[in-house]
Amino acid sequence: MEDKKIMVHVENLKKNFGKLEVLKDISMDITEGEVVVLLGPSGSGKSTFLRCLNQLETATQGKIIIDQSDVTDKHTDINKVRENIGMVFQHFNLFAHKTVLENITMAPIELKLMTKEEAKAEGMRLLKRVGMDEKADVYPSQISGGQKQRVAIARALAMKPDIMLFDEPTSALDPEMVGEVLAVMKELASEGMTMVVVTHEIGFAREVSDRVVFMDDGYIVEQGIPSEVLLNPQEPRTIDFLNKVL
Amino acid sequence: MIAIIQNYWSMLLSALGKTLLLTLLSLAFAMIIGMIFALMNVGRKRIFNMIGTIYVDAVRGVPLIVLAYFIYFGIPAGIKTMGVQDFRLSALQAGTIALAMNCGAYMAEIIRAGIESVDKGQMEASRSLGLNYGKSMRLVVLPQAIRTMIPSIINQFIITLKDTSILSVIGFPELTNMGKTIAGNTFQSLQTWAIIGVMYMIVIITLSKIAKNIERRINRGR
Repeated sequence: MEDKKIMVHVENLKKNFGKLEVLKDISMDITEGEVVVLLGPSGSGKSTFLRCLNQLETATQGKIIIDQSDVTDKHTDINKVRENIGMVFQHFNLFAHKTVLENITMAPIELKLMTKEEAKAEGMRLLKRVGMDEKADVYPSQISGGQKQRVAIARALAMKPDIMLFDEPTSALDPEMVGEVLAVMKELASEGMTMVVVTHEIGFAREVSDRVVFMDDGYIVEQGIPSEVLLNPQEPRTIDFLNKVL
Repeated sequence: MIAIIQNYWSMLLSALGKTLLLTLLSLAFAMIIGMIFALMNVGRKRIFNMIGTIYVDAVRGVPLIVLAYFIYFGIPAGIKTMGVQDFRLSALQAGTIALAMNCGAYMAEIIRAGIESVDKGQMEASRSLGLNYGKSMRLVVLPQAIRTMIPSIINQFIITLKDTSILSVIGFPELTNMGKTIAGNTFQSLQTWAIIGVMYMIVIITLSKIAKNIERRINRGR
């Protein structure tokens, strides 16, 4: 672990929404290729933490360094950093007015990272990879939730990110569609992608993650390898939570 | 009635042309004004929010006829006291400014509501890919907002077209003004105003039919 590159460095992160303290004091390092699953009851701050990493929420206090860029520094070009951080949302957020393929090619073309032809070829390759190439020309409203989420993953991958953030990617899905999305994520993990995943899928955490982080009330309560945290939790709050979800 | 049409048809048509010219000019400027103030209102900068709110409240709080008098008579008079002697606004210029300002305020509200109707996640997804605020607005949010805005915009077009009649008070020779002239000349108020009314109606119904068509075409593929 020691010689691996640190991809995410978070130091004493605090986040308030008005008077409400959502993140109280979070510090964490994530190394390259690591898959970290964030667990915790709703309102524990895990989604907010994730959204702070790419500054969809601005940190109130503390320091976040992603791949050597300090995203909490006002002088950092946050758009440049975000190109390197893929994000997958609970509600997919596919662009409703664009076709599946256009959803994927828009950002690389607009940011002049690829020509139109390159972006299309790359887009089709990614769609094939998530098993959605046959739906390239349809609009998001015409595909299922699981399919939308797979397209959303492809869209994030099109920017060739070094790290992927997943914000409850399967929570809005019908049960029978959860598997197809987790399969894509599993494959990504096996290819060495650095991933931070907020999820309630304990099975995914156990099977795929390198580390499980249990959060409650704005703090990290407990963390460690999945077999430890999930099967032999030490903290009462973790035990209580796992009893409820398992 | 036939006699009025026979004697005045060319004047009526040219007055209708002026009405349409005033409408289109005002709408073009109103779209720009509306877009600017709407973007000010939805942005994060407090100072812009305030400017946007003040503009919309101020203009909506003043009757169009007062605004027209203010611009046509008031502003040249004010400039005269500052020492500039021959500053004048034509009725078309003053009318366009007044209507554009008025319609722009309503347009700003329509566009703001349209932008706010787009799910916040759309902007977030675009930002998360590294696109800046402006690009995300232009490529992701506005194209979707426009779809929900179209019915209200059509409505506003029609209101503005009708509001041009108010500008007869500053002497712009548009359709209503022509109606006054013809009614005065012929002493046939009933027939004259019926003709004028039907002319407005034909134009407005035609325009709303065309607009409906455009709306349908844009919504295809959704």
